[in-house]
Amino acid sequence: MESTTPNPTSTAAAELLTGANAKLLLDSVDAFLFDCDGVIWKGDKLIDGIPETLEMLRSKGKKLVFVTNNSTKSRIQYANKFRTLGLSVSQDEIFSSSFAAAMYLKVNQFPPQKKVYVIGGEGIVQELQLAGFTALGGPEDVEKRAQWKSNCLFEHDKDVGAVVVGLDPDINYYKLQYGTLCIRENPGCLFIATNRDSVGHMTDLQEWPGAGCMVGAICGSTEREPVVVGKPSTFMMEFLLQKFNLSTSRMCMVGDRLDTDILFGQNAGCKTLLVLSGVTTRSILDDPSNKIQPDYYTNKVSDILGLLGE
Amino acid sequence: MVTKSVVSVSVAASITITSSKLVINPAHRFLCLKRLSSFNSFSASSLAIKWRGVSSCSSNKSATAMEGFTTRTRASAQPLENADELISSVETFIFDCDGVIWKGDKLIDGVPETLDMLRSKGKRLVFVTNNSTKSRKQYGKKFETLGLNVSEEEIFASSFAAAAYLKSIDFPKDKKVYVIGEDGILKELELAGFQYLGGPEDGGKKIELKPGFLMEHDEEVGAVVVGFDRYFNYYKVQYGTLCIRENPGCLFIATNRDAVTHLTDAQEWAGGGSMVGAICGSTQREPLVVGKPSTFMMDYLADKFGILKSQICMVGDRLDTDILFGQNGGCKTLLVLSGVTTLSMLQSPNNSIQPDFYTNKISDFLAPKAATKDIELRGDLSSLNGLDCVRIVHTIKSIVRAEQSRAVHKVVAASPRNLLSQPTMSSLATNDRCWKSAPSEIA
Repeated sequence: MESTTPNPTSTAAAELLTGANAKLLLDSVDAFLFDCDGVIWKGDKLIDGIPETLEMLRSKGKKLVFVTNNSTKSRIQYANKFRTLGLSVSQDEIFSSSFAAAMYLKVNQFPPQKKVYVIGGEGIVQELQLAGFTALGGPEDVEKRAQWKSNCLFEHDKDVGAVVVGLDPDINYYKLQYGTLCIRENPGCLFIATNRDSVGHMTDLQEWPGAGCMVGAICGSTEREPVVVGKPSTFMMEFLLQKFNLSTSRMCMVGDRLDTDILFGQNAGCKTLLVLSGVTTRSILDDPSNKIQPDYYTNKVSDILGLLGE
Repeated sequence: MVTKSVVSVSVAASITITSSKLVINPAHRFLCLKRLSSFNSFSASSLAIKWRGVSSCSSNKSATAMEGFTTRTRASAQPLENADELISSVETFIFDCDGVIWKGDKLIDGVPETLDMLRSKGKRLVFVTNNSTKSRKQYGKKFETLGLNVSEEEIFASSFAAAAYLKSIDFPKDKKVYVIGEDGILKELELAGFQYLGGPEDGGKKIELKPGFLMEHDEEVGAVVVGFDRYFNYYKVQYGTLCIRENPGCLFIATNRDAVTHLTDAQEWAGGGSMVGAICGSTQREPLVVGKPSTFMMDYLADKFGILKSQICMVGDRLDTDILFGQNGGCKTLLVLSGVTTLSMLQSPNNSIQPDFYTNKISDFLAPKAATKDIELRGDLSSLNGLDCVRIVHTIKSIVRAEQSRAVHKVVAASPRNLLSQPTMSSLATNDRCWKSAPSEIA
């Protein structure tokens, strides 16, 4: 991956975004990478000022990319969501962790005759199918229940070669058991996590447990650690770079989570901007136990518009 | 008349030694022959030392057990050869249940007799299980159904441990406990006088992630107890997460963190470690674990019964819970191979937990000490002199040493008076403290 020296100011305190440094930032980057939950929207509600800000950035020739850890939707489904919210974003500009999971299997030449068990939503299943893989589980297993009579064996498909775990609000014991058996008993079975976010804004009013919960459950029953394809892993950056002929130092990652968004940006060598419209508050940022300092921070994305006086 | 006397030296081997094992040392046999052939009184062909073994173990497991024993010499885990010695060295036995006493709903062979025997020797028996689905009372019923004589007061499940822990820290009675777990936990909390929310009831609750939806949670929840939960769902995860993240000082207690459990005897099932892992994932906090291998239950028991930990032997089938529990607690540990751990797992280079002893199952406590192996000395033994005896003794000793057995040995002399009257032989009897004479066979 082409990148300049890693961000040397990762331990210096984050700068509040002002009119002056916002202009500098804008001039120094060619692409803005946005997280979605807590940055663009909260649940199904758009955050104030987003459409105008995105339009302004596009008008200045900046490329826009949306990098989300939320694996419940596929890229196509995300494009639909954007459209529903009045934003014009194409599928190619979206990099969801559901897409990342399918791509991980593709680049690692996962045999198409092997199957993938999904603990997660429709998004993962769709992306896997688009990539030519056979997906089991997912929404299908929502209503399934395990039986525990002594003559009843819980069966699992021996051809499952990978278990992909992501955010699953329909998590149940059946899925946990199925995934556990595949990982523990199918030789060489992969354990892939779309992401490990602990909580997220699945609705506008409060935080909800994230994929970190489902992944934690499977770690607990298999005593194995997963391959993480979503932020802060820079796996998705590879695909991004293929699409844009840019150096990562000419990119700015905008997110609301320090240990995923900001860390992702730093790991990849991008500039980083934290917004306080999501899971992170000023006190979390300033807390001595926090070791991740973005380059800049501001309340919300539309501050960029406001500060530039446009 | 030539009387063919047979002096049989009978080697009482441990129950884990099979006959095939002893054949492994043919070299010694020949060595013995050679040495003996140099004796003046005997010709090489007239004196043969033969191993003839009878094993009391016929199961596959024991064969494997022996195989491992011969090829690897680990400083730690010893096969249990002298059960009596272990039994007399402790006052209390703590037994795990799954894989030790029963497997699913089936009792393991020989358990009732073993427990009876231990009781008859005045040993205190305690049963400690990480399974939190039942309360002590419900476990008492299970023991009863299986025909075992065990009282409720002897049972310590992790469901009980959670309630006992809250009691020990004077958890305020006006605070509530949110439970991600099953009935056993609820019952124990109730018995201890604590208010609880959650449990299996919340397994049917569904949420819809839509705009304007807010999930409320009780701000009086001061502790979230997480254990094995077959009715696990997102509602419970969110409720528990909100309590832990938002209620100041809220405790996060785990009954146990077992990765898998044997709900049925046929296969493994995702265990409490899974539910606990889920809450760790969403709260980014580590829980306080009350079940094995945490020593909370051990400390509680020692205190309650007034027993010294050095007087306890922990018997279990899992290294990372049962054996670690015993070691952390400072007591003796015995691993049984009747549950989830196999001998190869115990001896794998990846395993760093070595119990003091291991054996196939607890009914091995009942097994007769001797699986006799005869060492036959054939030939005319009537005119042995002192030097001959010395040589015979040395040879026999080296064979036994080569066997690496710490078993008690018996000398069965054909012409006891003749042989044992020799000072060397009787001194052998005295020095080794383990040679006795018994009637012999005459071929």
